[in-house]
Amino acid sequence: MAKYIAKRVLLAIVTLFVLTSVVFVLVRLMPGDPFSSDKMTPEIRANLEAYYGMDKPLPVQYITYMKNVLHGDLGYSMKYEGRTVNQIIAESFPYSADLGIRSLCFALFFGLILGIIAALNRGKKLDFFCILIAIIGTSMPDFIMGSVLQYFFGIKWKILPVAQYTSFKHTILPSIAVGFYTLASVSRLMRSSMLEVVTSDYTKTAKAKGLSDLRITIKHQIRNAITPIITIMGPTVASVLTGTFVIEALFAIPGMGKHYVDSINMNDYTLVLGMTIFYGAFLIIAILVVDILYGIVDPRIRLSGKKR
Amino acid sequence: MKKRLLAALLSAAMVVTMFAGCGTPGSKKSDDSSETEGTGKKRVTYTLREDIPSADPQNSNSISSASANIHMLACLTRNVEGEVRGDAAESWEVSDDGLVYTFHLRDGLKWSDGVDVTADDYVYGMQRLMDPAEACDYAFIGYILKNGAAVNNGEVSVEELGVKALDDKTVEITLEHPAVYFESMASMCALGPARRDLVEKYGKEYAADPEKAAYNGPFTMTEWKHGDQLVMTKNPDYWDADSVKLDEICIKTVADAKTAVAMWENGEVDITIVPTEMTEQYADDSEFYFTGADDYIMLNQSEGKLLANKNLRFALNYAINRSEYNTLVNNDVYEPAQRLVLPNVTAADSTYGERYPYEPFPLENDDAKAKEYLAAAMSELGVSNAADIKLELLTTDTEGAKKQAEVLQEQFQKNLGITVEIKQVTYKQRLEMEQTKEYDMVVTGWVPDYSDAYSYLELWISDGQYNHSGYNNPRYDELLEASQFETDAAKRQDMLFEAEQIFLGEDSALVPLQLRRDQYLVNPKLENFNVYFVGYDFNLVYADLAE
Repeated sequence: MAKYIAKRVLLAIVTLFVLTSVVFVLVRLMPGDPFSSDKMTPEIRANLEAYYGMDKPLPVQYITYMKNVLHGDLGYSMKYEGRTVNQIIAESFPYSADLGIRSLCFALFFGLILGIIAALNRGKKLDFFCILIAIIGTSMPDFIMGSVLQYFFGIKWKILPVAQYTSFKHTILPSIAVGFYTLASVSRLMRSSMLEVVTSDYTKTAKAKGLSDLRITIKHQIRNAITPIITIMGPTVASVLTGTFVIEALFAIPGMGKHYVDSINMNDYTLVLGMTIFYGAFLIIAILVVDILYGIVDPRIRLSGKKR
Repeated sequence: MKKRLLAALLSAAMVVTMFAGCGTPGSKKSDDSSETEGTGKKRVTYTLREDIPSADPQNSNSISSASANIHMLACLTRNVEGEVRGDAAESWEVSDDGLVYTFHLRDGLKWSDGVDVTADDYVYGMQRLMDPAEACDYAFIGYILKNGAAVNNGEVSVEELGVKALDDKTVEITLEHPAVYFESMASMCALGPARRDLVEKYGKEYAADPEKAAYNGPFTMTEWKHGDQLVMTKNPDYWDADSVKLDEICIKTVADAKTAVAMWENGEVDITIVPTEMTEQYADDSEFYFTGADDYIMLNQSEGKLLANKNLRFALNYAINRSEYNTLVNNDVYEPAQRLVLPNVTAADSTYGERYPYEPFPLENDDAKAKEYLAAAMSELGVSNAADIKLELLTTDTEGAKKQAEVLQEQFQKNLGITVEIKQVTYKQRLEMEQTKEYDMVVTGWVPDYSDAYSYLELWISDGQYNHSGYNNPRYDELLEASQFETDAAKRQDMLFEAEQIFLGEDSALVPLQLRRDQYLVNPKLENFNVYFVGYDFNLVYADLAE
């Protein structure tokens, strides 16, 4: 196991290095440059290029950048004057992560319950109800979900605040809007994997042993059915925790989401790179954690790696 | 073993959930909106779509940054809806040739950290703006200062800049050429004061957070949660603090315009801008203000291009139905433009529009004239079928830009029978393609920097930095050059108007489209709030909330 983890970590570092290098070149291939504006003159542009070290040859810039990254310094943003990419991420990530954790809790809790209920009541009304929710969740884009929630709860009934992120009340609507899609996919996955488990031999064995239905569901069925959910959790956690552009904009949450889009629109090279490295690292770690978790939950996977 | 691990994981998950149930990031300080309720504090909240990119006065390269800064800095003068009054400067004299301005600072001016405000702070601010090592985007504002461009290009040292502190209270500024609008420019934060000691201490991060700067204006910055909100608190040490009625101004970043409107509906914010698609819904509750932005189609008339043909350019200008365009594209929130210069700009004791009414092109299409010009153009170009005239219309990749371009395409094709192809690129790419002149027509615009016709007209000087159209008319250049040295304000304006007539009436050098306006929703209790079209937009310095 230790060797396996070490190998995965090493691979993750190499992936991150390659990712950074490729993006470093790619951002410079984007049309336009960070300094162009309606009022830019060649002289002022030359000053700005010198200021950001962009007047030097590309390999020199690359080496300087990589050195700084190794020291954890992602450089100054080109759009937000005087602010480092580290500061920007440090300020916006907590909001995105907070929203992400809340929406994940919401999605997992209700998604699993819905999936289990649906599977245990296959073909009945409850099953249809759960499928309906899953269909709504998968087919309705998050910004529509967000707008609908905002309209009814915030504007029409005035139960919850329309936007901003300052207290628990403020977090409810955006968490639901972000989590609904995950909820739907979790419930669908859980339903189908539960259905497989329900008809399996060990369920029959458990029944034959005379265990109660509740005990069978909790101890035998859910444990076995949950593995596919863990598989999708890696990428889901990474994407949900690192910010969602639309929902954050809609609910005026100062998270990371907008920086992905804005930094590219504004050709803010350092911010694009910083965001890529951060997201890349996050995704790689999340997948790594899932792989390890997988081994813990399902002994078959861990065993298959061992040579006998 | 695995059971214990699972149990540990589950309990960890529970802890996280509990944690998630409590506070939100940054909520350690109690919720600010409720904090002020009931305490009798007068607080006004304004929304912006995007956080201000910088609060550094010399690095403020956007209207939103400049607007925040006019609340926090006392520049030499202050512009209140076009009326220029002394701010840090109590009085000033101008030399007879209009080149040397001597500003006298008030007594007892203090920075928010208690340090005395001196003439050197203003000198340093301007030197900093022009210093090539500081690489300020807006350095071009300072080209008006003697040696401004030379300093910024690194040809001479910053000490050669035409700004001197004669003593602690006197700033002497020498200009490259006389400019009646300089008094108004002296209110711009780019030419405002900066603290040498703090710039040296914080370097690039000067003014990036409230504690990394000092303020000498009506308000001081007390909180800046980047991307979320910026709070300015009344500065009791401001020399004119008696005229400042509000206790706090809060700028909130709300990216979605409809969300901002919903927050206004709920009374969570006091001022916001209505998105154009919602305009009718709020027609009765809102006010329209010009932003100063002027949109037009820039025509690439460089040699060898189809649009080098003057008749073809006239045909385009007569084929456009500006009022229909304005309705279809922006729900009549903007105003159709028939000329280049915004009529609201100052012109010798009056406004430019009142002094020089001018409609070179009709509001609605004039098909007969358009066809006549087209026929002339076709015979000059040797084209027999109008559809063979192919023009590419360059624009940005936003939904709004697409709509604009489609309406224009439809009007040109229908009214002239020529072929127009739309090309959508990113904003940055569009700018690059403008500069390298890789286009036929491009939807673009201009925001002036000072309230004077020259700010719109200087673009089209043949070797102008921003003239990417290839427009070249020696008479136009001469008039603009001469206007720079004309000290008689009325004569000077006549020259500028003559230049505008040459540019549009004789050369049809671009297609005017619209003058942008913003539709503001304002808390009815808010008094003395104003919006201006150059240099800044909102001004809450003298605003008050009625009880």
